[in-house]
Amino acid sequence: MRCKKVLSLMLLAWGGDVLASNAVDEMGLEELTKADITSVSRKSQSLSDVPAAAFVISAEDIRRSGAQALPDVLRMVPGIEVAQIDSARYAVTARGFNGRFANKLQVLIDGRSVYHPIFSGVMWEADLIALEDIERVEVIRGPGAAMWGVNAVNGVINIISRHTRHQGGGEAVASLGTQGKAGLYARYGGQLDEYTRWKMSVQGRHAEPSQLYASGGENVDRLNNGVLDFRLDKDLGAGHDLTLWANAVRSSLGDQWRLNPQYSGGGSFLGMNNYLIQQSYTSQSLMGRYRWLSDSGVESSLQMAMTDSGIEISEYFKEERTTYDLDYQARYAFAGHDLLWGGSHRTTSDSVTSATSVVSMANPDYTDRSTGVFVHDDWTLIRDRLVLGAGARWDHPMRGGNTFSPSASLMWTPGRSDSVWLKYARAPRVPARAERDVTIFAGVVRPSAESMGLPVFLRTRPSSRTLKPEEVEGFELGYRKQLTSNFSTDLAVYRYRYKNLISGLPVSQDFSMLPLNIIQNVETYNCMAAWSNGAEFSADWLVSAAWRLQLSYAWTRLEFDRSANPTLNATAENDEKSGPRHFGALRSQWNISPIQQFDAWIRGSAGFYRANAPYTELVRVPGYMTLDLRYGRKFGKDVELALSGRNLLGPRRIEFISDYIPSPQSEVTPSLLLSVRWKF
Amino acid sequence: MRSRPLLSTLRSLAAVLLLSLAGSSSFGEVASEGQLKAAYLVNFLKYVEWPASRSTATICLFGRDSLGPYLASYEGRQIVGRELRIRKVTSPDQLADCQLLFVPDTEESRFAAVLRWSDKQAILTVSDAEIFTRDGGVIALVRSEGRLQFDINTDALGRAGLKASSQMLRLARQVSGGGR
Repeated sequence: MRCKKVLSLMLLAWGGDVLASNAVDEMGLEELTKADITSVSRKSQSLSDVPAAAFVISAEDIRRSGAQALPDVLRMVPGIEVAQIDSARYAVTARGFNGRFANKLQVLIDGRSVYHPIFSGVMWEADLIALEDIERVEVIRGPGAAMWGVNAVNGVINIISRHTRHQGGGEAVASLGTQGKAGLYARYGGQLDEYTRWKMSVQGRHAEPSQLYASGGENVDRLNNGVLDFRLDKDLGAGHDLTLWANAVRSSLGDQWRLNPQYSGGGSFLGMNNYLIQQSYTSQSLMGRYRWLSDSGVESSLQMAMTDSGIEISEYFKEERTTYDLDYQARYAFAGHDLLWGGSHRTTSDSVTSATSVVSMANPDYTDRSTGVFVHDDWTLIRDRLVLGAGARWDHPMRGGNTFSPSASLMWTPGRSDSVWLKYARAPRVPARAERDVTIFAGVVRPSAESMGLPVFLRTRPSSRTLKPEEVEGFELGYRKQLTSNFSTDLAVYRYRYKNLISGLPVSQDFSMLPLNIIQNVETYNCMAAWSNGAEFSADWLVSAAWRLQLSYAWTRLEFDRSANPTLNATAENDEKSGPRHFGALRSQWNISPIQQFDAWIRGSAGFYRANAPYTELVRVPGYMTLDLRYGRKFGKDVELALSGRNLLGPRRIEFISDYIPSPQSEVTPSLLLSVRWKF
Repeated sequence: MRSRPLLSTLRSLAAVLLLSLAGSSSFGEVASEGQLKAAYLVNFLKYVEWPASRSTATICLFGRDSLGPYLASYEGRQIVGRELRIRKVTSPDQLADCQLLFVPDTEESRFAAVLRWSDKQAILTVSDAEIFTRDGGVIALVRSEGRLQFDINTDALGRAGLKASSQMLRLARQVSGGGR
């Protein structure tokens, strides 16, 4: 008897999923209402009918990651490359081409793009939305322009905020950690009547400067962020609802620009010194969405957004911007078709002041208008077996001409637990304002015999030729298998062709006499092409009711075309080496007991090379493997304490070298953070 | 040199993970949310009476986030004398032979549309969104204090021409509508 019990316990331990599910199978309604559930939620993980490389991060995943900033959360997605630059700046991309502003990734918060038109990337250093206010993050790698419009070249990140119905009452989270990290989040939500709910939240975050990698001295990247967020949901009945959002962001962060040339008394070049700058970012946005259902069954959604934003970089640059977005989407399902169509318009006006030799902008007041329409259909050819998806989008940006982005997919589901999909897509990236209008000192070639012992300053300036959009086109193949009810795997492989990639080409030279140096003018052209190959794998295993393991791995390889032009050839060689080939992570989420959680996250990246900005020679960014841990404990129903450690393993390291504006490298160091969460 | 602390950390991590494996067995009745939801759907078929009797019982799963993998093991079983089938649906014309329609909470924006499709048909609509019964759905699976319970809207049940057993109504966390 006893033996049998021990044996069954052991069986439960090693094959817990099978036995446990059988036990649940036999339960009646009464027993079901009394069974305890683990908080290991697999909600939204089942993406078995999306014909794309998709991944969903749930609110629970975010909380258990122990991360303070969104990019750190994105590290769990296979195929997303995240590298921290300093205390708050990150380089984030999907499938290669990473940079301080990775320009081929579209990021949306509740349908509103937060891709900055000047820098053509996301200001990750500002907390655009508090992590606590996120319901889920949907990441779709690969071209998504057919649905999401231009710039969704390598992927789309959709951040979806929490509905007010999940944010009733009050909650406060306070965190304190090493490196002067501190955070405070507070929220209160209420109900006006049975159909109307609202919530208001604030978040503040502070971090003391990081350490410089080379000298160990202190950097100047002190961070102060604040977010204020309001949301109201009104259910108007019969399929009509209204949502309003208001959001304000303030961020200030120091930086050093290595662009200040130093000379000896004799006039010889000593190297580049730093300009100390203070960068501040502000944005206020107001958004509204109305959804309704017509009698014929068409579901529609109309969304409007108005955003005022500004960036000020002390003494060097100031931008003020107003953006209006209008977006309409409709959906109609009939006879095996799931039809989606819509259109959008964006008007964005800026006013830029730049008054120095470091950076200057042509067309200081500029308005860009962009309009697009799309249609997409998922057509079930064989019920439960075969679905054909086809869609296209036409965009008309004011500068850049018309773009056409088609996509097609075929999804075959031979059994309930397997699915195979094939996807073709094409996507454009419209050149950013900076690529067309900015003049900036971007780099220095150290003095050599060839340059007669003089330093050569590279000055990037607006191109004399019209820039065309960059383009990607290619195929993806994916396979998903649900091995047991508790174990699933997902594999995607892809091969894409990039054309008209924008790169700099040397044009004329200017010689200035005092101090003696050479200015090499560089203009941007659509002059490069590349192949991108890769594979992404993820596995999700609910080992037992209380323990879940998630593995992710991505391999990426870029091959640039070779050119007869020696500059382009050198750029091609450098670009191939400038991103890691391998990225991997293993996460473990363990519920020790209903009140205790222990999570571990091992993650790593292969090494790569980047230009030692502002100089042009390559420096190796070493690969790393590190560990994050989090222990959380509840006290009563309403209080939770959590201790998280990040980057606990490995030697001192840098994760990236900023390319956009050269700055010294900051060290990524181990850190500890203690947080208290209180519901009231 | 570098790999040594890493290895020992990995080793202790493995030990911790193994401990958790052993530890989890003592939970007994603890189950994953997906498993419980699947078991609920199957059970509802036993406690609800449909007007016309058929030889099969079909659970239809709507939208993107489905319980398919958890339900797979039930497929083909006999539930009150009827063979259980599981099917995915995407549009209204596919609902004809569904007895139960599950709409996941991730499809919240489409509740109104789906409920209109299934209106006045003998279909038991179930969702894991708490607001579902208020929006006019029949059953909402609700997470409450570490357990999964359900709310039932008897008006919606009546409109679909279905009858629920008194035992089921007794076990519900909340019964709304007039016809208790």
